[in-house]
Amino acid sequence: MYWVSVFTEAAIFAILALGLDVVWGWGGDFDLAFYGYLAIGSYMTFVLSIGKPTPPVEYILGWHLPVLIAIVLAVVVVVCVAAVVGAIALRNLRGIYFAVTTLGAVSALYLLVENYTPLFDGYNGVYGLINPGQTALNLTYNGYRIVFLVIVLVLLFLSYLLVQRLSRSPFGRMVRSVREDERAAAAYGRQIFFTKYRAYLFGAALAGLTGGLFAIFISAFNPSAWTPEELLLIYAAILAGGRGNPRGVILGVFVVYIGFIELTRYLPSPASRPDFGPALRQVLIGLMIILVLRFRPEGIFRERPGLDTGQGPVSRPRQGRVEVLTTPEGQAADDGGPG
Amino acid sequence: MTNFLVTIGVGLATAAILALSAVAFTLEYAVSRIANFAHGEFLTIGAYVAYSTQGIFHQNVAAAAAIAAAAGMVAGLLLNTLVIEQFRGRSAITVLIATLGVALVAENVLDMIYGAANVTYSYAQGSLHHVGPFLWTTSDIEVIVSALVVAGLIYLLLQRTRFGKAIRAVSQDRALARVSGIPARRIIMGTWALAGAVAGFAGFALAATIGTFGPLLGFNFLLLTITATVAGGLGRPYATLGGALIVGLAIQIAGTYTSSAYELVFAFLLLVLLMLFRPNGVFVRRSSVTVRA
Repeated sequence: MYWVSVFTEAAIFAILALGLDVVWGWGGDFDLAFYGYLAIGSYMTFVLSIGKPTPPVEYILGWHLPVLIAIVLAVVVVVCVAAVVGAIALRNLRGIYFAVTTLGAVSALYLLVENYTPLFDGYNGVYGLINPGQTALNLTYNGYRIVFLVIVLVLLFLSYLLVQRLSRSPFGRMVRSVREDERAAAAYGRQIFFTKYRAYLFGAALAGLTGGLFAIFISAFNPSAWTPEELLLIYAAILAGGRGNPRGVILGVFVVYIGFIELTRYLPSPASRPDFGPALRQVLIGLMIILVLRFRPEGIFRERPGLDTGQGPVSRPRQGRVEVLTTPEGQAADDGGPG
Repeated sequence: MTNFLVTIGVGLATAAILALSAVAFTLEYAVSRIANFAHGEFLTIGAYVAYSTQGIFHQNVAAAAAIAAAAGMVAGLLLNTLVIEQFRGRSAITVLIATLGVALVAENVLDMIYGAANVTYSYAQGSLHHVGPFLWTTSDIEVIVSALVVAGLIYLLLQRTRFGKAIRAVSQDRALARVSGIPARRIIMGTWALAGAVAGFAGFALAATIGTFGPLLGFNFLLLTITATVAGGLGRPYATLGGALIVGLAIQIAGTYTSSAYELVFAFLLLVLLMLFRPNGVFVRRSSVTVRA
């Protein structure tokens, strides 16, 4: 059962990473608010489905909706929040300014949630979504965990198909062309802000879905579950796997989560210092980020060159093999080559 | 009214530490054109070194401050040599992510050495003094005076020395500075040493003021530092001092009239608003150009 739980967690984070990769890998925007969307998705799923709070616990809404509807509504709320943050941060801030703004937004949100208890019960957080549907499906505890893993894997596969399809679509090429050269893309009639904005909202929606799944998976959520370190781990996974390449991203999450975390779980921790092992693991993750960025920034699978190009040579020569692909329809010039 | 003035006084003490940290951050940005997200670790390292050596120096403030600054200087030199210079020519955002990785490493190394729990670092706060309309403790006054002195020294350094002139040249155009015979690498190295020392000292001042701190001391202060820097305008040392003053006072006033738990919420909302309306700082006329770095 241990491995079922490990794989479930990795698969949930793989969906999150796919969403983040649309924002960062394709759009080139280093978003530090992203983990906040998972958190809002998770909190909203709880407060929409677990019913009224019993004092002294307090949180908003306290509805008693079926969990599926709760997740859908949670995704809607997440997209609304992302719409506000994105409208501020994406309009004319790029690079480090974008990163700093999103960090400011998520930090304000974090401190608000932690200190303002009527919202999501502050530091204690919300809990109580324990195996929804277990009795309805007439499953044992273990059976339920396995069914949940299958559901998460199916959702991961569907997200992968969607992202992969989007990646090859005119929209995917457009997002990348805007990343490569905003002026050229604008000259070709692309709306810079709306292109980025739509990619951002799509990524946030996937984060909201992940939040809902995470709520079911861990049955409790509080501020210690969404510290900045967690997000850095997702970025490390995307970097290692291959930024901009959906298959690489999924592989990266499984490598980092299962390979890295499970292997380092057995790091020695003296009994007097239980946090020694986890701290050492964070050190290794930090080092991995620096080394991958320095020596192999494209990751295990590089972003497919040629996806974002029309006929003719690729716009940005890369090291090593250069592929020139033409779209089957032969309409490349019409839908978003950067020129 | 008296309450308000006391608030302003406390705000000035906060602003003084913030100003030191922000000036260091902006100097780093000026010469290397990167946002150093490991900047907070300079403060943390300074604080921890002062804490570890308190047995040796007892309550000698000057010695503790000096050793914190020296530790920060070493950290600055190491970061520049081992990371920043290795990423030369890469985009600013790539370096930002790398420094975020450095922050993660530094925080957790400190965690492994000292543990995640807070340590107590107490300095006698001294007695209360009425200075004009303000009410300050002795250590508040020491912090404010030392911040003013450091700011003054940095001003003299930048304006009156060859080194300062070279820093200004490199921050405007590294290639052009090199063509003119300025050893850009060494100047940048020197700037990081200076920035690290100032930040390490700020870390000591912060720790001595707060009293208890943990490995996240600096990272939690980073966003406040960035807010102050952005308020002044990235890469502009003198304007940054003004930015720190504005941010320090604003959070103190907002915190007093609502609840101190929300101080930082206001600070970060202020950051978002600044980015929205004045991304180049409050002292510059609004520009409509896309901001990128």
